[in-house]
Amino acid sequence: MSKPTANWEKVGDKFYRKVQLYTDVFDQDLELENYNVVGAPYGGAVAIYRDEDKIYAYRGAQTAKSSIDIYSCAGKLIRRINWDKGSIKGLGWSEDEKLIVVTADGTVRCYYHLQSDFVPFTLGHGAEEHGVQSCKFYGSGFVALLGNNRLVSVSRYDEPRPKLLATPPSDPVVSWAIIPPAYSLSRSVEVILAIGTTLYVVDATDAEDRDFTAGPFRHISVSPRGEFLAFYTEDGKVWVVSGDWSEKLSEYDSRAKTVPKDMQWCGSNAVALAWEDEVHLIGPRSVATKFYYDAWVHLLPDVDGLRLLTNEVCEYLQKVPDETVEVFRLGSDSPAANLLEASSLLDQKSPKADDLIQLIRPSLDEAVNTCIKAAGHEYNIHWQKALLKAASYGKSVLDLYSSDDFVEICDTLRVLNAVRFYEIGLPLSYDQFKRLTPEKLIERLTNRHEYLLALRIASYLHISSDKIHGHWAQQKVRISTDSEEAICTLIVKKLHGKPGVSFEEIARAAYEEGRVRLATELLNYEPRAGKQVPLLLGMKEDTIALDKAIESGDTDLIYHVLLHLRKKLPLASFFRVINTRPVATALVETSAHDQDRDLLKDLYYQDDRRLDGSNLLLTEALAQNTLGPSLDKLKLASKYLQDSRDASATFQRSALDDAAKLLRMQETFEKDLAQSQSSATPIPGASTSMYIGLSAHQTIFALLRAGHTKRAQKIQHEFKIPDKTYTWLKLRALVSARHWTELEELSKTKKSPIGWEPFFNECLAAGKTNYAALFIPKCTGASVAERVEMWTKCGLLVKAGEEALKAKDRGLLEDVRSKATGSAAIEVERLIGMLPGGRR
Amino acid sequence: MAPIPPFSASEIAEKARRDLLLLLEGIRGKKNLVLEKALTGSLNLLVKFSTLQEYGVDRLFFLENDNVDSSQRNVVFLVRGEKAKTVMAVAEQIKRIRRDSQIEHEFSIFWVPRRTMVSDQLLESAGVLGEASVSEWPLFFVPLADDVLSLELEDAVKDIYLRKDPTSIYLSAKALMLQQQKYGLFPRIIGKGDNAKRLANLLIRMRTEVTAGESTNSGPSFLGLTPSSTIDSLVIIDREVDFPTVLLTQLTYEGLIDEVFNITANQAEVDSSVVGGAAPQPGQTGSASTSMKRKVLIDPKDSLYTTLGDSNFAIVGNLLNKAARRLQSSTERNQLAAKTTAELRDFVAKLPGYQAEQASLKIHTSLAEEIIKHTHTDIFTRSLEVQQNIMSGADPTTQHDTITELISRDIPLPTILRLLCLESTTNAGIRPKDLETFKRAIIQAYGPQHLLTLSSLEKMNLLQPRGGSSLGAMPAAKPGSVTNYTPLRKSLRLWDDEVNEADPNDISYVFSGYAPLSVRIVQSIIQKQTLANLIKPSSNPQASAQANPLAQGLRIFDDASKYVRGATFDETQTGEEKAVKARSMLNGNHSDGAKTVVVFFLGGVTRAEISALRFVGRKLRDVGGEGRGSRIVICSTGIVRGEGLIGCAVESGRFEG
Repeated sequence: MSKPTANWEKVGDKFYRKVQLYTDVFDQDLELENYNVVGAPYGGAVAIYRDEDKIYAYRGAQTAKSSIDIYSCAGKLIRRINWDKGSIKGLGWSEDEKLIVVTADGTVRCYYHLQSDFVPFTLGHGAEEHGVQSCKFYGSGFVALLGNNRLVSVSRYDEPRPKLLATPPSDPVVSWAIIPPAYSLSRSVEVILAIGTTLYVVDATDAEDRDFTAGPFRHISVSPRGEFLAFYTEDGKVWVVSGDWSEKLSEYDSRAKTVPKDMQWCGSNAVALAWEDEVHLIGPRSVATKFYYDAWVHLLPDVDGLRLLTNEVCEYLQKVPDETVEVFRLGSDSPAANLLEASSLLDQKSPKADDLIQLIRPSLDEAVNTCIKAAGHEYNIHWQKALLKAASYGKSVLDLYSSDDFVEICDTLRVLNAVRFYEIGLPLSYDQFKRLTPEKLIERLTNRHEYLLALRIASYLHISSDKIHGHWAQQKVRISTDSEEAICTLIVKKLHGKPGVSFEEIARAAYEEGRVRLATELLNYEPRAGKQVPLLLGMKEDTIALDKAIESGDTDLIYHVLLHLRKKLPLASFFRVINTRPVATALVETSAHDQDRDLLKDLYYQDDRRLDGSNLLLTEALAQNTLGPSLDKLKLASKYLQDSRDASATFQRSALDDAAKLLRMQETFEKDLAQSQSSATPIPGASTSMYIGLSAHQTIFALLRAGHTKRAQKIQHEFKIPDKTYTWLKLRALVSARHWTELEELSKTKKSPIGWEPFFNECLAAGKTNYAALFIPKCTGASVAERVEMWTKCGLLVKAGEEALKAKDRGLLEDVRSKATGSAAIEVERLIGMLPGGRR
Repeated sequence: MAPIPPFSASEIAEKARRDLLLLLEGIRGKKNLVLEKALTGSLNLLVKFSTLQEYGVDRLFFLENDNVDSSQRNVVFLVRGEKAKTVMAVAEQIKRIRRDSQIEHEFSIFWVPRRTMVSDQLLESAGVLGEASVSEWPLFFVPLADDVLSLELEDAVKDIYLRKDPTSIYLSAKALMLQQQKYGLFPRIIGKGDNAKRLANLLIRMRTEVTAGESTNSGPSFLGLTPSSTIDSLVIIDREVDFPTVLLTQLTYEGLIDEVFNITANQAEVDSSVVGGAAPQPGQTGSASTSMKRKVLIDPKDSLYTTLGDSNFAIVGNLLNKAARRLQSSTERNQLAAKTTAELRDFVAKLPGYQAEQASLKIHTSLAEEIIKHTHTDIFTRSLEVQQNIMSGADPTTQHDTITELISRDIPLPTILRLLCLESTTNAGIRPKDLETFKRAIIQAYGPQHLLTLSSLEKMNLLQPRGGSSLGAMPAAKPGSVTNYTPLRKSLRLWDDEVNEADPNDISYVFSGYAPLSVRIVQSIIQKQTLANLIKPSSNPQASAQANPLAQGLRIFDDASKYVRGATFDETQTGEEKAVKARSMLNGNHSDGAKTVVVFFLGGVTRAEISALRFVGRKLRDVGGEGRGSRIVICSTGIVRGEGLIGCAVESGRFEG
C-alpha cells in the first residue's frame, strides 16, 4: 500500500495533497483544449462544450454538430444536449445541479434534473441589443456582463427577476468576478470589474472606484467564502487582498511571460494558476509549488479544494486537513499518530502496542477523535480502515467514550465510498458531503437515475425515500414501453399510500409524454386537490378542474379556474358551467360586482333572477349623478320585474315606482322653492340640492321646517304616510325650526295621534321648559307621579306640588319640597299644610 | 419543563412580527410602505412604527388613497391578495408610479396571508408581475388578548353570509391547520352550523393533504399530525346559528365601549373632548393632532381594565369608585408612612405604576361617563326595552308600536334594523304583512336606496317573512333551517330573570338577562354539569354536585341542536397509536383539567361573548374542568358587533340630483 503522504506537497509550512480520483476520464480524441469545461459544485457533474473561438480538426459532419455534454467526474456521459440555439456566452451550474446556459441574445435556459428539458427566461435590460459578453455564476444565481458594460443580476431561478446593477464606466472590462450575496458585506451580490488600471466594485446602488494603479488586472478570483480576493497583474504578479479590501496579504511573482489561462482559489488557502499544462499553487506568504501535466488541464473550483481535469485524470487538489496532517506527517509524534502505530503493532501481535497506548494514555480520547476525523477526510479505503481500526482500538481502552462520532463516520464513509465509485462518479469530500446534506445527495443520485443506490442510501441513513419513488415513477411513465394499464398498476402498487409521493408530478410527466389517459388515471390518486387543478386545466379537463377546485375549498383555485374558463368559453356555456355550482356562481357574482357589471346583468338575466337584476339596476341608478339617468335606470329596474307576480317582486316594483315618483316631486320642489330658500341652511346630508335624494320622511321634515305645509301634506297623502308618523315629523320639524308659536297653536288642538308626551319631551330637550309645560296638563295618560316629575323637570315645583296635592300624595309632596328652594319651598310647604291631616 | 401551551398569543404575535421584519430586511435601503387600510390595526398590534423605521420604512401610505410618491426607490406593498379588486389597485399604482416617476423603482409586494395564483395572473395581465418581487407574509391569527385570537378579516361577515364567498372559511381552516401542525391535531372537532361544518370538513381534508404533501422524515410533522395531548377539542360555532346575540346591545363595559365608540384592533376612537387631548398615553399612536378624535388603547393587559372590561356596565361605576379610593389611599398612606429611606425607595419604585393606573383610571372614568350619557338617552332605553322583551319571549307584535315610533323619530337606521332583525331571527321570521309594513316605513323614512339594504338583509337570512322565503321556492321552515327559540329558552335556559350583575353566577349577566345561545352551546359541550344543574336544578342539593342525568354524554347539546339551525357535527381525529404514545411521552401526562379548548367563531365573535366565555373559563378552572379542558382560547374571523353585522347590508349610496 502506498504511503498516505505520497501525494502530499509542501507549500510553505502547509501540506497540500493531490488525490487522484479517476483515470481515463475522457476519450483521447476529445480535444479538451478546445472545450470550455465547467463543473457543478460539490463534486457534481461536468458540462463541456466546444469553444467556438478555437479552430479544431474536422472529423466529419457527426462531430461538427454542436452540443453541450454533461459528464460525471469519472467521464461517464450523463446527457448530451444538442445545441443549435446560438452562441453560448455563459455556462454554469447552480448549487442544486441545474445547468444554466446563457446565449448572446440574453436568453437564459435553465436545464433541471440533468435532463434536456429546460425553463427559459430572458435577461432583458438591453441584453438583446448589446449582447451578453460573459457570465459569472454562484450557488443560486449569476451576473451577466452586457456589451455596454451594464451588469444584470439574477438571484434565483425559480422566479427569476433580472435586475440591473449600478452603471460602471464604459471602458473595456479586462476581467471580472463576483462576490456571492451570502459572503458579501452588503448581503447582495457584488461585482469586481477590472477596468483600465483600476478596480470597480459594483452593487445594486453604486459603482465604486477602488483606486488601484497596478492594473490592468488580468484575472480576478474570489475565494469560496469571499474572505480573500486574488488579482493577477499584467506583469505576472498575484496579489491577495482580504475580502474587506482592508489589507494586502501577499504578493507573488510568477515570473511568467504568458498570462495564465485561469486563476482559481483552492479552498480558502491557496491560489492556483493554470497555464496549458502547468499549474502553480501559491500558498500564503507567497510560497509556491508547481505541477506539470502532459495534457491540457482545466481547473474546477469547489468549496474546499480544486478539481483538476485532463483527458487522463481527474484529480482533487486540497489542503491536507489538519487531522490528517497530525496522523500521517512524517515523524509526527502526535497521540493520533502513535495510536495508529499502536494499532498496526497490534496487528503484528507486537507487545509494544500496549506500551505505546500507555504512553499516550492521557490524551487518548483526543487521539481517537483525530483518527476518526482523519478517516473521514481520507479517500483511500485502506487508510480509512486503518484509521478506524486505530480509533476502535483506542476507544476500547477508554472507559467512557461516546461512539456517536465513530458510528456517524462509518456510515458516512460507506456512503461516500459508494458514490465515489467510478460508475457513479460523485467524488464528494467529507466536508462537501456535510454541506450538501444527504437529502441533496439522494436528489443527485435520482437525477442520475441511480435509484437502487439512492434507495439503499436513504434507508441506510434513515431518510425518506418518497422523492426517489416519485422520480422513479416519472421516469417510468416517460420511457416505459409497457401498456398504460400495466404502468399504472405497477406505479400504484408500489407507491399508493406512501406519504409524500406526488401523484400529480407523475401524472404531469405522463401528460407531457402524451399519455393523457394514464395521466388522468394517475391523477385520481393525488389527494391534494390544489395540485390536481393546474394539470387538469392543462389537460383541458375544465369542469373536472372546477369541481376539484371547489372541493378543495380554496377560493384562489376556484377563481383561477373561473378566470381560465371565462377567457376560454363563450358566455352562454360559461354560465351553464357555473350554474349548477353555487359556490362558483357566488364567486363570479362577487367579483363581477366589483369589476364587470355587464357580466352580472347577463348572469341574472340568464338565470332569470329578476329581483337581483332589478337591484343591480337600482345600484346603477344610485351611481348616476344627475337625475335624468337615475330616473331612466329606475324605470328599467321596475320594468325588469313586470312579468313577476310574486309578492316580493310586486313590493319591489311599487317601491321603485314610488321612488321615481318621489324624485320627480322633489325635482318640482327644488325648482319652485330653490330661490325662496336659498338663504336657509340646508339640512345636513343634503349637499347640493335641498330635496332631491331625501327620503319621503326627510322631505316632509324639510318642507315643514321651511313652512311649506301644503306640499308636505301632499307627500303625506301621496305616499299614505300614517298620521302618527306625520305628527312626529311635524313636531320634530317645528322644534328644529324653533317655531314655538306654532307649537303653542298645536297645544290648543284637542287630540294628537301620538299623545302629548312626545311634545313635552321634545320641547324639554330643546330647552324650552315653558313650552314643554304647556303640554303637561294634556298628558292625561301619565300617572300622577310622572306628571309631578314632568313639572319638576320644567322647574315648576309649585305646579308639581299642586299636582301631588290633587292626588293627595304626601310622599310625592315631600319629595317636591326637598327639591324646592326659596319662595317655591314656602309655597310647597303651604300645600303640604293643605293635605288632610295637616303638616304632621 | 412545562411545554408551551398551544395557541399561545405571545408566540403567535412574535412569529408574525419576525416574519414581517425578515421580509423588510430583505429589501435594501429605505423604503416606502403602502398598506391596505384593513391591515393597519393588525400591524399596529404587532409592530411599533419606530421598529418599522429601524427596518428602513420611511413613510407609510394607504393603498386606498393612491398617493404613494416617488420619494424612495423601494416601494413595498403590504396588502391582502384574495380580492381581485385590491390586486388590481396594486397593479394600477405600480403602473402609475412607473409612468410618473423619474427614477427607476424597485417594487415589492408582500401578500397577506398568502400569494395567490389569481394575483399572479392579474399582475401578469397588467404587465407588472415581472417588475415586482413577490413574497408573502403569512399573517393569520392576530392576538387581541392572551385568550383571544382574531384573523381580523374585515369582510368575513359580508363574504360568508351575504356573498356566500367561502374565502374566509378557507383562510380560517388554513390558520387552524397551521396551529394543528404545530401542536397536534384537535382530538375532537365539534360544532354547529352549515359553514362551521364546511370548515370542519376542510380541516379534515387538509389533514390528508398535508400528510400527502409532507415527507415522513422530519420529526415535528410526524408528530404534528397526531392528536394533541394538550388540546382537548375545537368547538366551531357558525355565526349564522346565533345572530340575535350580535344584534343585541352588549351590556358589558367592553361591549358598550365597542357599541358606542367602535373598537378596532384594541383601539377605540374617542372624541378628544371626552378623554382630554393632552397626556399622551403609552398606547397612543402618532395620530395627527389636527383631528379631534383621539385613539385610546383598550389594553387587555391594563390591570384596571382587566377587572372592568368583562363586567356588566351597571357595576362599572362602583368598580371605578373603588379603584379610585384604593389608589388614593395607597399613595397617601405611603407618603405619610414613608419615613425610612428604604420605604421611600420602595414607594418611588411603585410610583410609575401608580401613575399609569391613575392615567388609566382617568380615561376609563371619562369613557364610562360618556357611555352613561349614551345609555340614558330615550332611544337607548326604548330599544333596549324592545330587545329585552323580545328575548324574554314576549309576543313580538307587542313591540311593533315602539319600533314604528322609533322609525318616525328618525333614529339611526342600524338601530331600527337591529331590532327588526332581532325579531325576525328569534321568531323564525316576521309575519309577511307586518314585514311589508316595516319595509315600506323604512323606505319612506330612510330613502329608496334601502331597498337594497333590505334585500341584502334578506339574503343574509336576517330579515325574513315567516314561513320561508317569499319566493315560495322553499317549503315553510323545515327543521334546521331556522333557530327555534321557544323550546331553547327553556331547554338551555336562555333567559334568566334573577340575573346578578354585581356578582354574576351565570353568563346571562353579559346581557342582563339573556344568556347568549352561542356560549350556551359551548357550555353544553365543555361545562355540562353546571349547565345541567342550571337548567334542571336537582331536588336533592347534595346530589346535585354529582351526576345530573342531563349531563351525561352530549345530551344537552344533542337536544338543543335539534332546534338550532344548521348542520351539527362531531368528528374525532385519531392518529397512529404509536405516535400518540410518543407525543404524550414527550409532553408528559396532563390531567384533563389543564387542557385547552379552542372555540372558533366563524363569522365573528362579540365582546360580550368573549366576556361570557371568560366567565365560563374561570368557573372551569375553579373546579378543575368538568372532564374537559379548562383553558379556553377564543378564535374568530374577527370581532363583530351589531352595527357591523347590519352595516354589511346597509347601502350607503343615495340619489343625487
